[in-house]
Amino acid sequence: MATADGGAERAFLVNEGPKKGVSYPIKLAYCGECTMPIEYCEYYVNYEKCKEWLQKNLPREFEKLSVTKEGEGDVEKKDDGGSGEEKKKRQTRGGKGLMKAKKKVEPQGIRMWTASRGKKKKVTIVVGLASYEIDLKDASKFFASKFSCGSSVSGDDEIVIQGDVKDDLFDYLPEKWSQIEEDDIEDMGEKK
Amino acid sequence: MFKKFIPKEMVTNINNAKSSVQKGIRHQVLDQMPFAEDYIDQILPKKEALKIVKCQDHIEILAAQNGELLFFRHRDGDLYPTLKLLHKYPFILPHMQVDKGAIGFVLSGANIMCPGLTSPGARMTRVDKDTVVAIMAEGKDTAIAIGLTKLSTDDIISKNKGVGVENIHFLNDGLWQMKAVK
Ligand SMILES: [Zn+2]
Repeated sequence: MATADGGAERAFLVNEGPKKGVSYPIKLAYCGECTMPIEYCEYYVNYEKCKEWLQKNLPREFEKLSVTKEGEGDVEKKDDGGSGEEKKKRQTRGGKGLMKAKKKVEPQGIRMWTASRGKKKKVTIVVGLASYEIDLKDASKFFASKFSCGSSVSGDDEIVIQGDVKDDLFDYLPEKWSQIEEDDIEDMGEKK
Repeated sequence: MFKKFIPKEMVTNINNAKSSVQKGIRHQVLDQMPFAEDYIDQILPKKEALKIVKCQDHIEILAAQNGELLFFRHRDGDLYPTLKLLHKYPFILPHMQVDKGAIGFVLSGANIMCPGLTSPGARMTRVDKDTVVAIMAEGKDTAIAIGLTKLSTDDIISKNKGVGVENIHFLNDGLWQMKAVK
């Protein structure tokens, strides 16, 4: 639909007042580093500092930020993996997309934690291997054979291993992949 | 207006508003921002005196009793909400969305040029010249600045050059940095 001046038909915004279903005042999360709404952190000269702050103080927002960065709703594509709660946790896990976008090659550290599956079962979730240029499928196979258990790639930089194997990973990861130092690995305990 | 605003140096005195002045302000808010009506008692509680923070250069900032900065004005001109208030009630101003490319400029205090408002990533509300507007940004949910239109929306489109909206108050400027007043 072209107008006389050759431009496309323009869709204007219309102010319709308060939105239904939204409760006002809206409480925005502001960044403790740059003080702006966190979606603008990326424009701050010291964005790295913002990310540190977010990760520490608003991990949920930090994760959201990275999911947004990943874009293209890859959230839905992640594997089935159990209850809705677990799914939610996983889809937002990470900081990976953001990190990847900003620093493609620099290793970002490896984080791992356990989570419950059912009443007694535990799984270990490992995030960050991809930033060490490790093929996740290979890694997952390696874990499966090493621990004689199930292991699967569950996100674009996330592996889930059956059982609590965190202690072993501190030994196995640097042993198997020389680019990983034991200090790169962070044990984040148990998450619900 | 607040690019080089240093609260410590700029504030000359702080007083509680007389009730007649407060009534006038309430009126002016409703007049200029009719959508604020349902929330006006939340924004400007009747029982609490407004604080008037007088600053140099004929700037006046209006604050709640708890010190939260709510509105400001220059001489006896239009009232502008602060960005913090606008973030709470985004609908009180018409929105003008700049394209992604303009975000960095707006954050450095630059005025908004017409092309940043007419490109594919931008969207405008139809308003007249001299309207107080919320500057939004492509792909973002929260306001980045508050501006005053220098041209009507139609003129912004037809001229498509020069300043379309004056950048009055933006994220991280002096007013944004200003703490609640005591
Ligand atoms: Zn920040």
